Amino acid sequence: MEVKDFSNEITEDQKNRNKIRCQYCNCLILNSASAHYTDIVFSLPLVHQKRSKSIDDLDTEEFNQYWMIEDMYTFENIGFSNTVGDYKYLICADCEMGPFGYHDLKDKKCYLALKRVKYEN
Amino acid sequence: MSKKTYDLLFKLLLIGDSGVGKTCILFRFSDDAFTSTFISTIGIDFKIKTVELRGKKIKLQIWDTAGQERFHTITTSYYRGAMGIMLVYDITNEKSFENIIKWLRNIDEHANEDVERMILGNKCDMTDKRVVSKERGENIAREYGIRFMETSAKANINIEKAFSELAEAILDQTAGKENNDNQERVVVDRKNQEKSPAYSRCCTS
Repeated sequence: MEVKDFSNEITEDQKNRNKIRCQYCNCLILNSASAHYTDIVFSLPLVHQKRSKSIDDLDTEEFNQYWMIEDMYTFENIGFSNTVGDYKYLICADCEMGPFGYHDLKDKKCYLALKRVKYEN
Repeated sequence: MSKKTYDLLFKLLLIGDSGVGKTCILFRFSDDAFTSTFISTIGIDFKIKTVELRGKKIKLQIWDTAGQERFHTITTSYYRGAMGIMLVYDITNEKSFENIIKWLRNIDEHANEDVERMILGNKCDMTDKRVVSKERGENIAREYGIRFMETSAKANINIEKAFSELAEAILDQTAGKENNDNQERVVVDRKNQEKSPAYSRCCTS
């Protein structure tokens, strides 16, 4: 697994230093300093799935670094998938690529994988 | 509690017959080459988009009926809290245009009376298959005193403009009662919503 150092992206108070954008179409997802860094482990479905895959049988990838967003209206632009279990997945509002993260229906918070988004100051 | 990063929040709905392209308005690439991506398997529930109008930062939360129209189950719970409705027909489908009247009646019965409405004649890129003229769309809109626009989700014609105009109309209406912290919380989990028809607010938990 490729290890990427995100320390430059995290401020001293654990927030995102730069704006967060879609890595495919550059759509603005979050302004700077609007998400909190958090170490949680969660597996997200792959962006590209094999055609035969059903919802219960998706290929996934595990991430352990996420941006936590308390209130969904903090997002500048974001799309929510239909519910799967206790979650909705987060996709780009413009090009609809993703998932970049998930919305937990239990704690009402949103989480974006550091590796699935792009940064720009 | 985190600091609010916007001035206003508008909940918008997309309504109309099945197949008129509502989902494409929300879900732009549904019949493109992207069929193997994750989202085409699961489908989109809603989107949050931020627009700036007259110096105000406005969050639009846009919902699709997600096929409920097929079962004629679009009732009060779906309309609850809606401030704007996009009423969509397909310019290549006569029936979908005729049903606009039915949808207007449904909105009258179930939605807030001050909800802002807009009629969209979608698929305007398909000129060779057109059966509903632009004039007929304009006439029905005039008759009901509603805004009208022809759009193409596929060719991305007037989509952004339609949402901005609808948001602007709501903004005109809400002028004076802005930044109301007691706005109804929008429940995103439809299952729970069905179980508890009583509206849940942050302060009751």
